[in-house]
Amino acid sequence: MNANKIARGQPDRFRRWVMDIVIFALLSMGFAQTSQAGVMGTQLALEDGVRQQQITKLEDFIGRKDVSQQLQALGVSPELVAARVQNMTDQEVAALHDRIDTDPAGGDALALIGAVFLILLILEVVGVTDIFKSV
Amino acid sequence: MRKRAGTGFCSGLFSLAALLAGGCASTTATDFGADPAAVELTSTPFFPQERYQCGPAALMTVLSYSGATVTLDELVANVYLPAREGSLQTEIIAASRRAERIPYRIDGSLASISAELNAGRPVLVLQNLGVSWFPRWHYAVVYGIDPDRNLVRLRSGTDANRTSKAGTFLRTWRRSDNWAIVVLRPDELPANPDRLEYFSSISALEATGHLTTANQAWRTARARWPNDLLPLFGLANTELSQGNLVRAEQHYLELLVREPTHAMARNNLAYTLAGMGRIPEAIQQLETALKLPDLRPAVANELQASLDEISSMRSFSVD
Repeated sequence: MNANKIARGQPDRFRRWVMDIVIFALLSMGFAQTSQAGVMGTQLALEDGVRQQQITKLEDFIGRKDVSQQLQALGVSPELVAARVQNMTDQEVAALHDRIDTDPAGGDALALIGAVFLILLILEVVGVTDIFKSV
Repeated sequence: MRKRAGTGFCSGLFSLAALLAGGCASTTATDFGADPAAVELTSTPFFPQERYQCGPAALMTVLSYSGATVTLDELVANVYLPAREGSLQTEIIAASRRAERIPYRIDGSLASISAELNAGRPVLVLQNLGVSWFPRWHYAVVYGIDPDRNLVRLRSGTDANRTSKAGTFLRTWRRSDNWAIVVLRPDELPANPDRLEYFSSISALEATGHLTTANQAWRTARARWPNDLLPLFGLANTELSQGNLVRAEQHYLELLVREPTHAMARNNLAYTLAGMGRIPEAIQQLETALKLPDLRPAVANELQASLDEISSMRSFSVD
């Protein structure tokens, strides 16, 4: 299920290189908007710990770049990626980076097949599942 | 004879079901909270989902109910993840911020859902409608409860008025670790706020650049917890980030009168003053902060870096 690995099969290096630059530019715009040099945001006070901001910023930047590439590999169009990542905090980006392939993805309850259908029908009747319209 | 065979079949079904469900087919206690009354937010809109897109549809339901200006197409573009055929919680959260709302995770009980409904807010939940070995992850919106009849009312998928037995709902919800959020306007508080969780939700909005909304929310928080300094710090920070230096200075000064050892406030006040060209005063604030007892090394380093940066501004400024 590692779609991002497939995408790293470098079919078109130049395109990716251009895309990286675009993402870099968009993300940098985001940074310019939110962080002034040396000002400590409210989150730092809330976490009760000033992390080494320079290091964090660098890690955060790499994390955002990685997650952006992951999202693209999972089918998000390049021009939407930056805006999607921009509304996540550092912590959310870091967590998503590790779990993007395993986190629950809410979709829908349809698409059932054969034996599974029967078993689920039984579970539905006794109230374990809640897939069907009205049983 | 016939009857007995039927009973046998039924109990067989139940044991099979219990086995498949990993033993969690036992009855679930449904607690709607103290003094539960039936609530139904009938004006909750309904957006029937397209294939795999219950995430955008459910989010659209709660966002439009709260008056956010957003379209379903925008939400699809911002939360739907094609290769996963669904939407991730992190992206639901992020898209709520994009719509200038505060996504706040409520604690996972029917009583909390009931409290939010009574405050006039439908609740977005993540359910696993299947089982752990065959997950069917699904977002839906709880818009009503009926404790007397033991029912939960949902806008769910293509079903505008789905009623689930409370026990069944609880089982499907528990598999998502009882994940439920409300999307708050900046002038709204959660029905039963967990102070730090709420502050954390606002500061995330601030950190992602939604400064006007975060600023309003910090005001709401300050009115609710007047003795807590964090909302005041957040208020000052959002003013500073928006370039409202005079107001930022006022808030930092108020905070420092109440808590003179707040090194971070002094650091940010220094940048506020420097922004107004008052470099000597800025340097004085940082020197004061650096003399504070029990300063943690990480904070001291930041203060020193700020001092170096602001001192270097002096050499460029024209007197």
